[in-house]
Amino acid sequence: MLLTGIAFYIFAAVLVAAAVMVISAKNPVHSVLYLIVCFFNAAGLFVLMGAEFVAMILVIVYVGAVAVLFLFVVMMLDINFQELRQGFLQYLPIGGLIGLVLAIELLLIVGTWVIAPETSAVAAAPSPAIDAVTNTEALGRIMYTQYVYAFQASGLILLVAMIGAIVLTLRSREGVRKQSITQQVQRKREEVLAVRKVPTRGGV
Amino acid sequence: MEIAAIFLPLLGAFVAGLFGRFIGDKGAQIVTCSLMVVAAILSVILFVQIGFGGPEAARTVHLFTWIDSGSFEVAWSLRMDTLTAVMLVVVNVVSCMVHIYSIGYMSHDPSKARFMSYLSLFTFMMLMLVTADNLLQMFFGWEGVGLASYLLINFWYEKKSANDASMKAFLVNRVGDFGFALGIMAIFLIFGTVQFDEIFAQVPEKANATFNFLGFEVHALTTACLLLFIGAMGKSAQLGLHTWLPDAMEGPTPVSALIHAATMVTAGVFMLARMSPLFEYAPDALAFVTVMGALTAIVAATIGMTQFDIKRVIAYSTMSQLGYMFFAIGVGAYPAAIFHLMTHAFFKALLFLGAGSVIHAMSGEQDMRNMGGVWRQIRFTYAMMWIGNLALAGIGIYGVFGFAGFYSKDIILETAYADHSWYGTMAFWLGLAAAALTAFYSWRLLFLTFHGEPRADEKVMAHVHESPLSMTIPLGILAVGAVFSGIVAYPWFVGHDLAHFWGGSILMLANAEGETIIDAAHHVPGWVPWAPTVVALAGIGFAWLFYVKSPDLPGRAVASIRQLHGIVFNKYYFDELYDALFVKPAMKLGLGLWKGGDEKVIDGFGPDGAANLTQRLSGVASRLQTGYVYHYAFVMVIGVVALIAWFFLSAR
Amino acid sequence: MVAMPDLLPALPELFLACAGMLLLMIGVFRGEGSLRLVSWLAVGALLVTGVLLVLGPTERTVTFSGLFVSDSFAVFAKLLVLTATALTIILSQRYLETEQLARFEYPVLLVFATLGMMGMISANDLIALYVGLELQSLSLYVIAAFKRDFAKSSEAGLKYFVLGALSSGMLLYGASLVYGFAGTTNFDALAALFAAGETPAVGVIVGMVFVAAGLAFKISAVPFHMWTPDVYEGAPTSVTAFFAVAPKIAAITLFIRVLVDPFGDLLAQWQQVIWFCAVASMILGSLAAIQQSNIKRLMAYSSIGHIGYALVGLAAGTEAGVRGVLIYMAIYLAMNVGTFAIILSMRVQGRMVEEIRDLSGLSKSHPMMALAMAIFMWSMAGVPPAAGFFGKFYVFMAAVDAGLIVLAVIGVITSVVSCYYYLRIIKVMYFDDLTEPLERPSRAASLVIAGTALFTFPVFFIFSNAILTGAATAAASLFQ
Repeated sequence: MLLTGIAFYIFAAVLVAAAVMVISAKNPVHSVLYLIVCFFNAAGLFVLMGAEFVAMILVIVYVGAVAVLFLFVVMMLDINFQELRQGFLQYLPIGGLIGLVLAIELLLIVGTWVIAPETSAVAAAPSPAIDAVTNTEALGRIMYTQYVYAFQASGLILLVAMIGAIVLTLRSREGVRKQSITQQVQRKREEVLAVRKVPTRGGV
Repeated sequence: MEIAAIFLPLLGAFVAGLFGRFIGDKGAQIVTCSLMVVAAILSVILFVQIGFGGPEAARTVHLFTWIDSGSFEVAWSLRMDTLTAVMLVVVNVVSCMVHIYSIGYMSHDPSKARFMSYLSLFTFMMLMLVTADNLLQMFFGWEGVGLASYLLINFWYEKKSANDASMKAFLVNRVGDFGFALGIMAIFLIFGTVQFDEIFAQVPEKANATFNFLGFEVHALTTACLLLFIGAMGKSAQLGLHTWLPDAMEGPTPVSALIHAATMVTAGVFMLARMSPLFEYAPDALAFVTVMGALTAIVAATIGMTQFDIKRVIAYSTMSQLGYMFFAIGVGAYPAAIFHLMTHAFFKALLFLGAGSVIHAMSGEQDMRNMGGVWRQIRFTYAMMWIGNLALAGIGIYGVFGFAGFYSKDIILETAYADHSWYGTMAFWLGLAAAALTAFYSWRLLFLTFHGEPRADEKVMAHVHESPLSMTIPLGILAVGAVFSGIVAYPWFVGHDLAHFWGGSILMLANAEGETIIDAAHHVPGWVPWAPTVVALAGIGFAWLFYVKSPDLPGRAVASIRQLHGIVFNKYYFDELYDALFVKPAMKLGLGLWKGGDEKVIDGFGPDGAANLTQRLSGVASRLQTGYVYHYAFVMVIGVVALIAWFFLSAR
Repeated sequence: MVAMPDLLPALPELFLACAGMLLLMIGVFRGEGSLRLVSWLAVGALLVTGVLLVLGPTERTVTFSGLFVSDSFAVFAKLLVLTATALTIILSQRYLETEQLARFEYPVLLVFATLGMMGMISANDLIALYVGLELQSLSLYVIAAFKRDFAKSSEAGLKYFVLGALSSGMLLYGASLVYGFAGTTNFDALAALFAAGETPAVGVIVGMVFVAAGLAFKISAVPFHMWTPDVYEGAPTSVTAFFAVAPKIAAITLFIRVLVDPFGDLLAQWQQVIWFCAVASMILGSLAAIQQSNIKRLMAYSSIGHIGYALVGLAAGTEAGVRGVLIYMAIYLAMNVGTFAIILSMRVQGRMVEEIRDLSGLSKSHPMMALAMAIFMWSMAGVPPAAGFFGKFYVFMAAVDAGLIVLAVIGVITSVVSCYYYLRIIKVMYFDDLTEPLERPSRAASLVIAGTALFTFPVFFIFSNAILTGAATAAASLFQ
């Protein structure tokens, strides 16, 4: 128990520190790298809770795909972030004030953290006990039964996202040579090959 | 069937009004007239079903809910009982005749489709009024006929006099409508509903309810009834609010016949009859109605004697007859009033259309001083006018046969006599006098128009011709009504089949002896039924003496009572009085408010000031829209923070 | 094992989802030039969905483990949404063709957006709420930027996307707060919780405010409205027409359901939030519109104002109030579709125009169109006897009955102010001199204009009963 406690505080502290660095780092590439650190630590927290599946997905999807994609985009676009930051100081006073008020408000909420008895009754165990069934199976069960609606709807959202990406970016450009395998396969010999008699010594 | 009878005219109005240009004048006339004929036939069938079917035949056709807001619920329904059925027949038949008549009468007018559309619209509105199931729907029809009447009086809108007349009609009616609207509100206040059935069911228990007004306890029902009667006075041109009716004759003659004689002006009578369960419990209001009705009858008749415009004479006659109906209601004889309404619709429409035929023949001349001696050229019209006059004067032999007006006027005078109250007696004597005057001015009109030396110029006289068939056929049909509607309908309307006929549509409380006023009217002394006929004949005799025997007599008579004649000829100076009392001060007040109040004070601080302020605020609002995404995001965050902060601050 | 969920209540949605994918396939295989076919098929699919809705169960049924609810409230709102989408697709065709935007993805995206809206309307769980909302929003982001070679359109899409993401973030944050403090995301469970408990935790209420803020963004209530004018102006006009109607109806229905169903017992807590949003929206909507010369921007502010009036009914928090909102949205649908049909017909010599002064002299060149526009403007201004008056009437009456008299008074004052710019359009059409006559509107547009104008006046005035009872049943089903 002590070990998990220590691990939790380490993960949590690093996570928060890295999150701060994400938004304060001067170099955008550094920001993305800090983001990757965040993801790793969050995955660690999930592991501590016994949610290995979510932890691994977080590493694979967010670190392996999303963050790397970010990295590529940031490096390729070559934006001058210094310029973008120029308005920062101008908005700092009022922005800071609003941030402060929001923080106080959220602290007030945390200060009144009481879970009513009715609440804990409603908050039933989300899944079978951890030792009864594996993480993946439990998630799978829940997704395909109780939350099948949300799962399918999410699928539709992804479909729409895909259509959107295609609609907004795909262009059929003129004069681009494309490979058409059916055309290649269906080519007849007569259409492309002509046998000519070449007179000797006459050249072609 | 009920729906068809009521909505066909609306359909006609739509088609003629919106597509008049596509289907042409002929098309518009055919469409509206044929729809009206169908509606008229349907309403006759309905009348037979409901009137002779006994009390069970009455019904309500629910169309749909109109307003439903909390406790205030109003539905569109058609209330089908005998009272409605009678009105349906009157409105649809007369309107049908007028539609057909208009084809001939308006043949020289450029905008026939518009005219037909207005006529049909008016008919629909009138039907809405008479079939109303609640006061609000009735008010809708009430305002609707007012609008249609305005449009039709102003039909020849190039004429300034027509403009003025329509404006006057509209404004004077506003006064009445204001009373009506207040009456509706008072009723809603007393009963909490505007539905007829629900009101009538509650009347006995609310009979002694009172309002507290400025510290005075006033009888609630009396107040409501008086307010309603003010509405009726406006629409039915009773003394005080009558000044618009003669001027309304600026409209085309078919309009005068339909609106200002047969139907719309009787709306007040109808409304009072419809509200009979209420009025029966407000005897003071009834006394007031009687007095006003009787005064109107006699005053209008005296004015009618002195006028020279043929249509105005008939208009004053209409007003006078409406007075009869009102004092009949005042003494509690609602069936008699409706009976007279029905017969009057026939013979007055006949008279107006006949007068229209004369005007048509005389190339638009309306002044009787420029007519005369034309009876040989237009014999049919002449005969029709005779029938109309006989019916109007109520000529007949008691117990044998009489023209339509004979029966209805008789029963009204008998009920007035039988009422025995001071106002009933007064109404009887004034009514009797008015009957004599009626006969006098009717035959004065007849003699001046048709007899004597021709006073028109030769060009006009050469053109005098009988009207086309489309005009004479309606005249003929109406004449049949004017001759026979009295004798045929008498037993049902006011005779021994009365209870069976009216069913629950009219309430008459019994007096101390346990008999209703109509029963009492059948037991008056023997001379009473004879009296109207006798005085009418006397009136005719005087008219003959004055205008045929010795045509110089009128001049001398006028000279001997010059002052009195002056008053009567100028219609008792009502117009001048109103002009001095209301119009001029209102004008002055308006000018003062406009120049001083409106432009300086209100515009300065009100609209103009507000507009300036709005403009400036609006500038600020659109400047907030900078176009930067992070500004927008910032505003959103501020919004959330502020809302949460507000919650925290208000919670503590 | 868990039994198969009851699919019947969700049949219309399932049908529409399959139809959407099928349309996509048809479009892909037919390639270029299939817009017309796909459009009409989409309209047909929406129509069938509507029929399925009407035939389906009207009593309250919950399915998909409590994530999805179907009741007459949902049916009423879905019918409005389907009508709005179908009309927009019909109106869009000619616009897309002349603006070289004729791509079949447009109707497909609209169908998916509609599906998302139906999901929102039927949401019975914060999770279902969120997925429905995202399905809708993602489609909308894409079509806002549909005119991709046009900087304004791309900018509109991007702005909408970024701010939409922010609002989704707020909504999710709020949902997580609610879940954290209440322990459930299910609406029924939440309602039962608040009905039993005395004072809810502060976290729940703050979470609710965040959720409300996220939803307020979707209906563009002040202060979450900032995107509206820019996106309305930048997006292709047919897209603006869509934005102005269907998503607004869906979002406000969702808003009503969230506040009345799970948080119904917290009326005292959320009433002030809605009160503030309503007042701010009404004031801003009526003031800012005065300065606009672009009619699409004007319509943006006008819709902000209208949302403010609808929120007045919600602020009442009573059955009558909800009924008022539903009636208001039905009328709003007719007025806005009609107005946008006219805006979409504003073409001069082959190019689109969108300035108010381009309407000058419309009464001479197109008298019927001018008349229809005049009816819409009267109605929007809330002048009797046009339908808009009754919308406002029912909403204000509900507010007065609920004791929110100040709110109703502010509403009346702002509607008077808003008359200024609605009537200005009428003035421009009828009294200004004709500059360049507009082209003839397409047959479809003419039909839509005529139909909506007749509905606005006089059909609604006379036959308001059907909609009144429909809205009353719908509102009652929510308050069972």
